[in-house]
Amino acid sequence: MARFGTLNTAWKVWDNPAPAPEGAVLEYTRELEKFLAEIERRAFRMAQVALRDADDALDVVQDAMLKLTRSYASRPSTEWRPLFYRILENGIRDLQRRRTVRNRVMTWMPGPKEDPDNEALDPLDNVADAAPAIPEKLMQAQAMEKLEESLRALPARQREAFMLRNFEGMDVAETASAMACSEGSVKTHYSRAVHALREQLGEVW
Amino acid sequence: MSEQNSEAFEMRSRALFQDSVDGLDMRIRSRLTQARSAALDAASSKRRPWAYGWKMWTPAAGVTAAAILGFALWVGSPLNHHAAAGADAQSNFEDLDLVASTDEGSADAMEMLQDDIDFYDFADKAANSGPAA
Repeated sequence: MARFGTLNTAWKVWDNPAPAPEGAVLEYTRELEKFLAEIERRAFRMAQVALRDADDALDVVQDAMLKLTRSYASRPSTEWRPLFYRILENGIRDLQRRRTVRNRVMTWMPGPKEDPDNEALDPLDNVADAAPAIPEKLMQAQAMEKLEESLRALPARQREAFMLRNFEGMDVAETASAMACSEGSVKTHYSRAVHALREQLGEVW
Repeated sequence: MSEQNSEAFEMRSRALFQDSVDGLDMRIRSRLTQARSAALDAASSKRRPWAYGWKMWTPAAGVTAAAILGFALWVGSPLNHHAAAGADAQSNFEDLDLVASTDEGSADAMEMLQDDIDFYDFADKAANSGPAA
C-alpha cells in the first residue's frame, strides 16, 4: 500500500499512476503463461470428470483462466494454484446448477428430445491414433472410466478434495485454501472420499 | 482395508489420471492453448493506460452530479415556491370576486372596468411604484 507525505503527492499519484515497469510485466506474464500451460490439461480433465462433457469443461477452464489473469495476476504466484482451482470449482458448480434448472424446464417443454447420434461429428474424432490400442491401454482406460463414474457419485466436496489432493498433488493447506475451508475439513473430506471410492471400486480395481 | 492398500489405491488412481491427461487429443490441446492465449491477451489489455482514465474522472463526475442535484433541489424547492404562489392565487381570486360581483351598487362593475381600463392601469402602476412625491 502506497503511503503519501502530503495530499498533493497523493493526487499526483492518483492522476498519473505509475505503470509497472515493462520488464516486470513481461516477467510475470511469462510466469503466468508457464503456470497456465502446466496446469491446463489436468484442470480440463478434472472439469471433464465433474461435468461429463468436453466442451463444457473447456468453457469452464477458459473462464477460470480469464478470471485469474484479469483479477489475480498481480498476486504472488504461490497463490495462483489455489485461486485458480477455487474459480474452476465455482464455475463447475454454476454450470451444474444451470443444467439442473434447464433439465427441469426442458421436461415441461414439448418438442423432439436431443438425440446424441445426430450430433455434428468432428472429423478429427475419426482420425486413427498413432499408437495402436493395446490391451493394457484399454484396461487402463476402462479402470479410469470406472474411477470417473465413482467420483461423480461422490458428494461434491469429497470429489473436490480427492481430485485436488490426489490428482493435482496439492498439500492440505493449499487444498484448504482452494476449497475455502479448514485443513481439518479437507482431511475429513479426503479420507471419506478414499474410503467411499475403494468401497465402490472394490479391491480388484 | 489397510493403510498400505490405501496408498496403493491412491498411487494407482493418480497414475491413471496422469495417463488420461497425457492422452488428451490434439483438438483439446489446441483449444486449451487458444484459451490460454485469450486469457493472457485479456490480462495485458487490462493493463493499458487508458484503463486508468475512469479512475481519474470519477471524483469530478461525483462533484458535478452533486452540484446539479443541489441546484435542482434549491430551484424546485416547495418551501420557496408554494408560499409565493399561494399569496398570488389568493389576491387573484379576490380581484375576480370584486369584478364579477353582482351585488347592489356594483352590478356594472365589469362594464366600468372595461371603460376605465387606462385608469386602472395607471392606478396599478402608481400603487407599485410607492408613495407619490
